[in-house]
Amino acid sequence: MERQWTEPEQMLLRMAAKYTDAELAPYDLEMAHTNRYPDGLVEKLIQTGFLTVMLPTEYGGAGFGPEVTAAMIERIAKGSASVAATLEGHYKSVDAILKYGTDALKKALLPQATHRIFAFGMTESTGGSNPMGIQSTAKRVAGGWLLNGNKVMITNGTLAEVYCVLVKTGEQELSVFVVDNSMPGFSFGKREDFIGLRGTPIGEIFLSDVRVDDDHLLGRVGQGGAIGDHAHDDARILMGAVLSGIMQHALSLAAKYANERTALGTPIGQMQAIQRKLADIKINQETTQLLWERAAYAKAQGQPYSELAAMAKAHGSRAAVAACDDALQVYAGYGYSNDYPLAHLMLDARALEIAEGTVEKMRTAIAQAELKKEEA
Amino acid sequence: MITKDALWIVAEFEGTRIAPVTLQLLTKARAIANGRTVAAVLLETPAQTGEETLAQYGPDEIIVAQDEAFQNASDRTQAEQLTALIKANQPNTILFGATPEGRSLAPRVQDQLETGLTADCLDFYYEQDLLVAVKPSYGDNVMCEIVCPDRRPQMASVRPNTFAAKKATGAARIERVDATAAADSACVMQKTAVKIAATTSLSGARKIIALGRGANKDAVIEGVRKVADKLGASVGVSRPLTDRPDFTAEQQIGQSGVTVSPDLILNLGISGAVQYQVGMSSSKLVISVNRDSKAPIMVQSDYVWTGDAAALVAALQDLL
Amino acid sequence: MKIVVCIKQVPGSNRVSFDPITHNLVREGMAGRMNPFDENAIEAAVRLREQVGGEVVLLSMGPDATKETLHDGMAMGADSAYLLSSRAFAGSDTLATGYILAQAIRKIGAIDLILFGRQAVDADTGQVGPIVATELDLPQATFAEKIQPLDAQHVVVNRDLGAVTQTVQLTLPAVITVRAEANQPRYESPVAIQQSLTKPLTTWTDQDLTLDASRIGQAGSPTIVRKVYAPEPTTRAAKPLPQDPKEAAKALLDILQAQGLL
Repeated sequence: MERQWTEPEQMLLRMAAKYTDAELAPYDLEMAHTNRYPDGLVEKLIQTGFLTVMLPTEYGGAGFGPEVTAAMIERIAKGSASVAATLEGHYKSVDAILKYGTDALKKALLPQATHRIFAFGMTESTGGSNPMGIQSTAKRVAGGWLLNGNKVMITNGTLAEVYCVLVKTGEQELSVFVVDNSMPGFSFGKREDFIGLRGTPIGEIFLSDVRVDDDHLLGRVGQGGAIGDHAHDDARILMGAVLSGIMQHALSLAAKYANERTALGTPIGQMQAIQRKLADIKINQETTQLLWERAAYAKAQGQPYSELAAMAKAHGSRAAVAACDDALQVYAGYGYSNDYPLAHLMLDARALEIAEGTVEKMRTAIAQAELKKEEA
Repeated sequence: MITKDALWIVAEFEGTRIAPVTLQLLTKARAIANGRTVAAVLLETPAQTGEETLAQYGPDEIIVAQDEAFQNASDRTQAEQLTALIKANQPNTILFGATPEGRSLAPRVQDQLETGLTADCLDFYYEQDLLVAVKPSYGDNVMCEIVCPDRRPQMASVRPNTFAAKKATGAARIERVDATAAADSACVMQKTAVKIAATTSLSGARKIIALGRGANKDAVIEGVRKVADKLGASVGVSRPLTDRPDFTAEQQIGQSGVTVSPDLILNLGISGAVQYQVGMSSSKLVISVNRDSKAPIMVQSDYVWTGDAAALVAALQDLL
Repeated sequence: MKIVVCIKQVPGSNRVSFDPITHNLVREGMAGRMNPFDENAIEAAVRLREQVGGEVVLLSMGPDATKETLHDGMAMGADSAYLLSSRAFAGSDTLATGYILAQAIRKIGAIDLILFGRQAVDADTGQVGPIVATELDLPQATFAEKIQPLDAQHVVVNRDLGAVTQTVQLTLPAVITVRAEANQPRYESPVAIQQSLTKPLTTWTDQDLTLDASRIGQAGSPTIVRKVYAPEPTTRAAKPLPQDPKEAAKALLDILQAQGLL
């Protein structure tokens, strides 16, 4: 399945490849060591226009479709999964506003999405995959809402400036509002010290009597669950692409090393035990790529893609951990060293068995969809 | 009386002295002249005496045009003067050094004469009257033989440090000609400065330690600088290290950088892409250190050591 | 300021093969790309336009596929592009190419500045810029690493000629060739990529230009590539030094000592 990209799409992918190799990949290991992006990296990413890729032209974006956007994310992830995750977090949040925001909100907010990073806060200490467990609230006040609560583990949290937040508007009622970090009562909390995706800021925000106008409600009151699910679906396609990119990175490293490293007088790549690992990495990578491409195609065609997106992430995250583990084993002792990137690739991949919905939840969703098809 | 059908070398100043490439070309031209008159053509100010240096390298003739107009003359002014001399005297062949200056002047002369020019040659020879210019192409991955069969003069620029310059005896006839070109009011020199450039020290260095991707660590580079000091060697780099703030493109050895021919080159962590090899292949003694025993640089080397450059540099530091 | 930037599409990689009979480059399956030095020329032009206003026009000669490279250049910020494409141009060497480009520049008209990359990475001649300057009888500054606009008629250029540096004041119109050190070319932004396909791209054939038939294509090209071959890899002895780093270092110094290099 070799996709025929249009000329602008080819140009985008070419530019992203060049950018990744020159501006991102050389710093990826450093990010893993320092738990942050190098100075200027995010600024240059924004200046080059990466936030605009999938934003429609009417809001000042480039208006690229979901398939090429995901392909670009895959290519970036081949150099730095952290940066790919930052873009993924932005795109899914922009997608949610595009789909559920009022025209007035979109006109006011989306032109800013070309240069301000957006994020989506769902998880709280008391609920993540179980959204009804959250405790943040929005209360009706004259002409608007008053938001209170604490959101944790937000992709781009502390870096992003605009946040979609999932809150309770009733005991069993979820809604999503958009808040800006410049609003009174908004503050940042701590940044997580996670073991993978260490470049990506993942952090918390506090809302203390943050007042928003009516038009900052996404969709309808009570639609929060669906909006959250939709954002997750979009994220999971891009996550599949991130995982495929991580595996391409691991495979390239492992194959190169297997060609160079000799044992018993031959390159280890000539040994069947190593060849089997390389083959398994490739199979894992290709199957994941096929899944995200199929999900992105369905999204582009306006077909249901929730189940496919869940499969891309559920399969891809475990496949990528296994693939990176194989690549680490090819590197043997060096693979286990923090001076080499293999261990951090595996930990990057491991993040995606949890983020944007655990793989357990993915499987539940896939199974339920299949059960439903055979209901009497 | 200037000889017709001669082989001309366009002399170039580098700062206040005649550029080494001019002398290298004189030596090479004499070797292939086979009876042709070898002439150096020199544009200089009345204060300059480049002909004295040129005479030591054995040209049959030195054609000198002296004029104040050549003080900071524009490319156009120089090219017009050269073109006038060529039209008047009809040499068969004209060679330039493939220096930035030579490569700026030669095509202007070429266009005025509507003839052929081959750039950046690594070798040239005659087949009867025909100059065969051998030039690399595609990043030195292929070699081309280029000829100009139907038009004269035939022109080429030749890469510096490809040939050795040797002094030669013989009494050069010095022909003084009147300068005809006027100053160029559309191109006014405001300032010129001689660079104390690594290029000069690298291209003329007897000993070079060259660093590549496999030696791209601050500690290794610092160690190498100390070893280089002890050995009296200059430090060069392959293309990837020019991205570092402490190295410039002028310290880059290879096709897009400097060609070197030292007595010793020690390559550390350089894999040896073709474009690098061409830049150092005429070095006398080549010693290479690489983690990959199959790196292309290894078969280009007299001695090799397979391992981490850092370890060898540390050991050298201890011994020195 | 109206600036023309002359650019060239070169093979995507310098690992090329040649047809041993015709000596022609075998380009099959190899996508072209913009000559990297030309990116510096476009960047310099776009920055000048940002400083003093005006427009940046790209000009290239080559087959139809060169349009992709022109789109790349417009995605970097150039305003429009001309492609010179004709069978009559085939086989042009630097002299014929320079002549054809110069005739196209005359037709575009009212040009203040003509920029080139310092050379193309395929043939590495760097000749076409000075040839165009001579054809149009313009002053030139090759190997520029800085270009500053002075007033409507003048620019100041810093040239790096290896052994010397020069600061020259050029009266416009003029030709400048740009070194890689002059700037860091910008990446094509996604928005600019989309816009690049809507910017004007005009194709001119030999019929659209005033050309002397004896100065174009093979007839106008004095040089002939009569042979192309792979350079002989010279191999040396590759004698291994002892594996232990200390012993290797000692052996190395012994060799230098023996050869009088210490």
